[in-house]
Amino acid sequence: MYIIVVGGGIVGYGLAIELQQVADTEVTIVELSASRATQLRDELGEMVVHGDGSEIAFLEKVGARRADMVIAVTADDGANLVACQVAKHWFGVARTVARVNDPRNEALFLKLGITSTVSAAGAVMAQIETSLPQHTLVPLMALQSAGLKVVDMRVQDGAAVAGHSLRDLKFPTGVLIAVVVGPNGARVPDGDTVLAPGDELIAVIPHEAEQQVRAMVTVGDGM
Amino acid sequence: MRVVIMGCGRVGAGLAEQLTHEGHEVTILDTNAFAFQRLLPEFSGKRLVGSGTDDRTLIDAGIEQADCFIALASGDNRNILASEKAKEVYGVKTVVTRVRDPLRSELFARLGLKTFSPTKFGINLAHEALVTAAGGQ
Repeated sequence: MYIIVVGGGIVGYGLAIELQQVADTEVTIVELSASRATQLRDELGEMVVHGDGSEIAFLEKVGARRADMVIAVTADDGANLVACQVAKHWFGVARTVARVNDPRNEALFLKLGITSTVSAAGAVMAQIETSLPQHTLVPLMALQSAGLKVVDMRVQDGAAVAGHSLRDLKFPTGVLIAVVVGPNGARVPDGDTVLAPGDELIAVIPHEAEQQVRAMVTVGDGM
Repeated sequence: MRVVIMGCGRVGAGLAEQLTHEGHEVTILDTNAFAFQRLLPEFSGKRLVGSGTDDRTLIDAGIEQADCFIALASGDNRNILASEKAKEVYGVKTVVTRVRDPLRSELFARLGLKTFSPTKFGINLAHEALVTAAGGQ
């Protein structure tokens, strides 16, 4: 697999270190600043190239045409958006991942067809959200191409689903409750599994079902 | 029309003045207040310091009520990001984007933005001037 990482900052560097360990993976790191590129090259070697990852002519030179994935992780959302769009629509790269520095850009990036987005704020929120008192439904992972997401939910006291078996519950079509975590640990539920307040559910849900599912596991508006 | 212009360089400033003369309601943005020096003192439009890629600035500039948005900042990527935002998030009907790189300009035009590349015009003008001056040698 060939992966092009655009941006050799802290995120790009960390990613390069991780990807180096993965077998059968070739990685190129594109860094705009000449001095930073030289510095990275001293440590990482040939895989680092100095150039502009949103420049079509340059991406062509580093083999974007045969890339399986382009990951744009610069500190500039515009550059990340353009690198991904160029990769996808000019070079036909199947998978594009963009870092969003401003969380408000996330929805736009996904709407424009970027396969997935990563935001530091979003990642930290996902870590802490489960411990917030009003925690109801936390997206863990987006399965963008299938229109699905993996979420973590906690059944609130008095929620519509509490005290009912999965068989009796009418979750929206496509909702899959994969794991139920209760006081006795995690189990794979079946139709007889009764949901209790405080249970944590790991579920795969269609994007459009999120509001409906959220309402079922919470009380009131759930906010 | 209500127009939001991103970037108060020579083109942005000149366009802002022309549009206000024609009676349009103009708000011009630049990240650097210094850039507004390019506007004539009698410029009657609104000046706003901020980035056109920033939602708060766009909202302050009245993007939600704007009929047109034109991105004329110096960076192509910033112009593209701001334009996609104006179009997709704020539903601005007419969005025009300057993209200096002719290839990027072509790509984003294909993806639905109304782009123009001054570089391309520049190349054509330079080529024409050169060929004319050389007199068909």
